[in-house]
Amino acid sequence: MRGLVFAVPLCLALAAAAMSPDARAEDPAPAVNSGELLFVQKCGLCHLEGGFGTRVLQRRVPQGQALLQDRAALPAAFVTAVVRRGIGSMPQLREAELSDAQLAAIARYLEDGE
Amino acid sequence: MIAIAPDKLARALAAFAEVVGADNVWQGREAQDAYADAMAPRDPLSYAPLAAVAPGSAEEVQAIVRIAAELVVPLWPISRGKNFGYGGAAPHIADVVMVDMIRMNRILECNAEMGYVVVEPGVGFDDLYEYLTSNNIPLWMSAPAHTWGSVLGNALERGVGYTPYGEHASKICGMEVVTADGSLLRTGMGALAGSGTWHAFPYGFGPSWDPAFMQSNFGIVTKMGLWLMPAPRQTLNLAMMLNRPDELPAAVDALRPLKLDGTVQASPSFGNVIRNLATRGPRSQFYQGQGAMPPEALETARLQAGVGHWNFGIRLFGDPDINAINARKVRDAFAGKVEAEFEQTEWNAGGDLRGSGHPTPTLAALGVVDWLGGPGGHLTFSPVSQFSGAEAWKQYTTVRGMYEEAGFDYYGGFTAGQRYLNHITMIVFNRNDGEMTARANALFSRLIAVGAQNGWGEYRTHTLFYDEVARSYDYNNGAMQRWNERVKDAVDPQGIIAPGKMGIWPRRYREAV
Repeated sequence: MRGLVFAVPLCLALAAAAMSPDARAEDPAPAVNSGELLFVQKCGLCHLEGGFGTRVLQRRVPQGQALLQDRAALPAAFVTAVVRRGIGSMPQLREAELSDAQLAAIARYLEDGE
Repeated sequence: MIAIAPDKLARALAAFAEVVGADNVWQGREAQDAYADAMAPRDPLSYAPLAAVAPGSAEEVQAIVRIAAELVVPLWPISRGKNFGYGGAAPHIADVVMVDMIRMNRILECNAEMGYVVVEPGVGFDDLYEYLTSNNIPLWMSAPAHTWGSVLGNALERGVGYTPYGEHASKICGMEVVTADGSLLRTGMGALAGSGTWHAFPYGFGPSWDPAFMQSNFGIVTKMGLWLMPAPRQTLNLAMMLNRPDELPAAVDALRPLKLDGTVQASPSFGNVIRNLATRGPRSQFYQGQGAMPPEALETARLQAGVGHWNFGIRLFGDPDINAINARKVRDAFAGKVEAEFEQTEWNAGGDLRGSGHPTPTLAALGVVDWLGGPGGHLTFSPVSQFSGAEAWKQYTTVRGMYEEAGFDYYGGFTAGQRYLNHITMIVFNRNDGEMTARANALFSRLIAVGAQNGWGEYRTHTLFYDEVARSYDYNNGAMQRWNERVKDAVDPQGIIAPGKMGIWPRRYREAV
């Protein structure tokens, strides 16, 4: 398990709060590391509970491993390659939309929770 | 095709880096991987670009175009590149530099009183949703099946959604466009400096050019006004499942007068059984054989899933009293025409938006590509149909027959405009199966040809099939094609902007063939 696992509604609430200074002041976001926050923001629509990616992975990986944050082992190099090249039904994400630094933070978080 | 000389490309990329910073320029295999068609029906690297540049503003787009014009390096602009099934982020030809506008992601204006937003190309439907809901703006957006894509790009490609504002292209009001010489123009009332009605009155003075910048390569749209719908007090949905394929014509004919007179303002979509099953899991869950699912297997799967052969919802948006009246009109129109009954649900202002009819962020629609187990892809064949049961039936039986003859399940549906139907079908294939992708490509070409023989044209197509579809619009020996070429030659004589998009090639390329 890697840190706090957000449910989708909380993910959306977090994103909404990030866009509204007033909302953030009244309802501060929980303290999370940048990799986790980026994962939720950039990957959460598919890879949190109920997401399309999670549902597909439930059919392809051992039980309990479909949520990426729950993976027993997810090497950063593998995450990086998958994101840049795509895999299975997942399209690639390019650097213009997810920088190398952001991807590195996400990959580190998924590898070891930091 | 015309290759870009390596020295010219190198000079262009160096100059682009001066404009946008070296971190926003890519080339070689990195660019090919980044901008390859993620759902490619053939080797994606065969039409992946040489390089890419990502500007952050309209001024940077202008500078890039001027450099490209000087060095004669063709560009291929994209907004967010999430147009899956139609080519995604990929160009039509490899010898181009992508202009990736995903960094231009500002919502420049939102006028709640007048009901419009002004967006840059990189603004996604998810971004707009978050903006509207987090700021409690009483406007609703319309979105296609998945919300990852660009609001601007989807509207320019004439994408459709499912609210009363679902014909997105018709809700565009006022554009800013970079032309092939690097100039900037504003359409409609925007042509008058200081106008306060740029995004309210769509026409301006003289010829109206907005439609000419949709599905075209006459300029790069860097800003767009889009009308949004005032949030309704209530939505009322009438859902129906038709248990037999041959009930489609009666349902289409029942809906037509309701669309014409405005009783139904949204765009109901009659989706077939495969479209529904594909959201539930892979085909192997229902059938393990090869080729198209036989009718008896399909019927067993349909009953197992508890869905109709056609599934649709007629959603009414507005005040509860008016919705109640219109719901009665809808029920009366369908009574006795089909066997099924409507199931009514309502959403009222203040409730959870999920299920309201207002799109919420989702990528669930991409699940279809997992239908055959993957790694999947899809080609979207989408001819326009007359709004008549007889014509819809003819298209359905013809297209389904061709799908099944080629060994593919017919995945499709008819989405209702006011006076037409968009017949949106998908050939789903496994990308790693060469024999299957070859069959998919061959089927697609046959569908275009047979469609044209019947007077059916696609409203939009995959980048790989631009030329075939453009040729199918053949009235008066291709008069429209010639006109498009004349315009292209006039406004972009060197063919700098997206050569070949929609089958419109500039003279330089036509003469090189």
